[in-house]
Amino acid sequence: MKDLKAQIKIIVCLSFLASTLSLSVFGQTVISGKVTENNGVSIPGANVYLEGTYDGVSTDDNGNFSFQTSETGTQTLVVSFLSFETYTLVADVGKMQRLTIKLREDVNSLDTVVISAGTFEASDNSKVSVLKPLDVVTTASALGDFVGALQTLPGTTTVSEDGRLFVRGGDAGETQIFIDGIRVFTPYSPTTNNIPTRGRYSPFLFDGITFSTGGYSAEYGQALSSVLLLNTIDEPDQEKTDIAIMTVGGGLGNTQKWKNSSLSINATYINLAPYIAILPDRNDWQKPFEGYAGEAVFRQKIGDGLFKLYAAFDGTNFELTQEDIDYSEGIPFKLNNSNFYTNASYTDNLGDSWKLFGGGSFTHSNTDLGIFDADLNDIENSAHIKLKLRKRFSNRVKLSFGAEQFLTDFEETFREEAIFETYGFQNNISAAFAETDLIFSKKFAMKLGARAEYSALFNDFTVSPRVSVAYKTGQHSQLSLAYGDFFQQPNSDVLKFESKLEAQKTQHYILNYQYSANNRIFRAEAYRKQYDKLIKYNTEMASFDTNFTNEGDGYAQGVDVFWRDNKSIKNVDYWVSYSYLDTERNYLNFPTAAVPSFANTHNVSVVGKYWIEDWKSQIGFSHQYGSGRTYTNPNEPGFLQQKTRDYHSTSFNWAYLISQQQILYFSINNVFAFENVNGYQYASTPDASGNFSRRSLKPAADQFFFVGFFWTISDDGSDNQLDKL
Amino acid sequence: MKKLILFCFMMISCIGISQSKYEDGMRKAFELWGSEKPWEAANLFERISTAEVDNWLPAYYVAQINVIYSFEEKDATKLKAQMDKALEFLNLAKGISKDNAELLVLDALWHTVWIAYDGQQYGMKYSGKVAQLYQQALQLAPDNPHVVFGKAEWDMGSARFFGQPLDPYCADLQRAIELFSTFKPETEFHPSYGENRAKELAEKTCK
Repeated sequence: MKDLKAQIKIIVCLSFLASTLSLSVFGQTVISGKVTENNGVSIPGANVYLEGTYDGVSTDDNGNFSFQTSETGTQTLVVSFLSFETYTLVADVGKMQRLTIKLREDVNSLDTVVISAGTFEASDNSKVSVLKPLDVVTTASALGDFVGALQTLPGTTTVSEDGRLFVRGGDAGETQIFIDGIRVFTPYSPTTNNIPTRGRYSPFLFDGITFSTGGYSAEYGQALSSVLLLNTIDEPDQEKTDIAIMTVGGGLGNTQKWKNSSLSINATYINLAPYIAILPDRNDWQKPFEGYAGEAVFRQKIGDGLFKLYAAFDGTNFELTQEDIDYSEGIPFKLNNSNFYTNASYTDNLGDSWKLFGGGSFTHSNTDLGIFDADLNDIENSAHIKLKLRKRFSNRVKLSFGAEQFLTDFEETFREEAIFETYGFQNNISAAFAETDLIFSKKFAMKLGARAEYSALFNDFTVSPRVSVAYKTGQHSQLSLAYGDFFQQPNSDVLKFESKLEAQKTQHYILNYQYSANNRIFRAEAYRKQYDKLIKYNTEMASFDTNFTNEGDGYAQGVDVFWRDNKSIKNVDYWVSYSYLDTERNYLNFPTAAVPSFANTHNVSVVGKYWIEDWKSQIGFSHQYGSGRTYTNPNEPGFLQQKTRDYHSTSFNWAYLISQQQILYFSINNVFAFENVNGYQYASTPDASGNFSRRSLKPAADQFFFVGFFWTISDDGSDNQLDKL
Repeated sequence: MKKLILFCFMMISCIGISQSKYEDGMRKAFELWGSEKPWEAANLFERISTAEVDNWLPAYYVAQINVIYSFEEKDATKLKAQMDKALEFLNLAKGISKDNAELLVLDALWHTVWIAYDGQQYGMKYSGKVAQLYQQALQLAPDNPHVVFGKAEWDMGSARFFGQPLDPYCADLQRAIELFSTFKPETEFHPSYGENRAKELAEKTCK
């Protein structure tokens, strides 16, 4: 008993001695442990330290660390290492011994899986980027039109006389365009039947383009097939003036910068008269195509927030006599269109990882059409207002939700001799959406969303779920799946006559495989699209006495393949797209289900660019192939039963850098002057022998030549024409 | 009274310790960097930056090491991770020290890394930005040799790319070398790199 007491005394003494020693003599606590990955593999070189102190160390080759500190009490231990999430431990320093710290991989890293089903991006830092922003202006066939560049991607169909985007068996109206998240109601300039239209907006004002061919986010609605998202540049690099002199017109741009704001303006004038005087086309012009456009972007930083105002005004007019099989004299046709679009948006960080986006757009479009003696005037006023909130709970969990309102007021006036009719519609749609991004690991991510819409016109309520998942199958490869329901109201051609209808519907099922490494990217995507509630009617042309229903339906399915490589051959960048499409639909006034004339089975695009250092030149070419398109031959039984010959067009361009700031650009579309036929027009009545005669629908010109000189003047003389290449 | 004196004394000695801790730490970090252990140096700079929240230098060096070693990085994933880290600390430094020409030069260098990594993709996008950053730095510190040298080197690179004569920039380079010869960093830890590299470049390209 005595012994024990003595022992305890000694122990107490010793421990007291030890503790005072450690405090007063050394005054140090040892912090130690091991840093590993989740799977137990040790991490050498990680930074381990007590926050706000000088005490810390890098882990050794086995991931072990040990250091001394004079700090006491509760401290924050931080472990950081590249490509991993920073780890923090708040505890008493006395308890920081023999720690085992597992770092979680940083899902912001480049090798994290990305949801890529359906989506093509043209941007710089995106992991799924297939196009670069400059491809818009360097693709030979595109002629500086962003829509033209997107037509070299798989999933699009060659409808060369139209110029708009036809995606996966959908017609052009099934694709919606958004600028900074806000809808563009009238994105294309009007043209004649045989000249493709162009996007209204200058590609130089945008620095990010996302093109989705299906399965897109719940944030976007009123699009059955596809969305195209354009983002304007947040902050221009420097002040400059751009001058363009072209065979078809000219352009002038200027950017001014101030401390917290900047303004870019851009004006273009196009007149085809001189070109047509030298190289006449198939049209009988009274007044060749003339267009003018002005655009301005103003940006203002307000604290952490950014306000952007975009405004564009453009006008188009022309007059010609259109060839027609039923009128030997042709049809006199004139058009005068003016279009105003403005878009304002504001983004701000609200703190605590909340982000606010608010924006709105207004469109005013006025089109005057003259056909024979009839005069048709369309006035459309549309607006879109949107509010969105986004919360980042962590790198792995994000939530966004919002609400939006679309307003359209459409009025048409028809005048012919004594007839004078005015009709139209008002279409208001309210919508709400919510979506969550979940990244479970570098290998597995999911996006879940839903969208609800209410149409005041139809008194109809729709809900569309959207789901996509992505799984990484290897270091460079991944699989994505997407499903979604999409609703869109019939367009103004129908709504101006009938408003007791419902929204049309598609369902998308998408399976995507992507391999990307070393500047090479391969994508293959299989999809099935189910159309439902399409508009049907019972007359030859839609008009007042037409009976409209939602009884149409259809499907589209196919495979899209994309390959891009700018590694294998020095100074050469090329991509190849192939699309296979199988589609039929029974809609409009189709007597049976058939392949519509804008859909063909096979489409191939090959685009190549070659940089010749010694010539300071970039040479580009592109080839578009489209298999035949359907048409109805009334001389034989059936509907849309025949196909045109295949479509071929090879384009070539050459950009020569005269100096850092001056560029000379030359291009030819359809170099080999292949005679393409887009379809046939048959006479409405048979001739004496009972045969319906026909004429082929050909492009206005088989070839198009373009020469342009572009000059950028900037303060320090360093901004250069490479931007335009 | 005694207590107060003692307290004052303690305060002074604490500050003294803190200062020497900073100096010891910075010296140690430069030593590690000098002995081919840049990442350990970067770790130490990072630790110092958490302790010295009002000093932009440690954060600057974390960013600088990540930028410099990114010039040779070919692995896109690693490159992006390093560049993200560099940007994080560059922004941290910018938050501490506003309108700092040294930070603008590093920012220009950060963009140059991307251009060097993939000229086709980033050259066109970032070259305007780089030019603007040097311009801005030159306005803030027209006689800082790092600014003058950085700008001259960049201008020479673009001139070479466009096959234009380098002579106009040789004068700038010469001026940078002159500025270097009289340049005194504010403290021993302020940026002092570049003199030899400027001379080498002049030797190579401007005869």
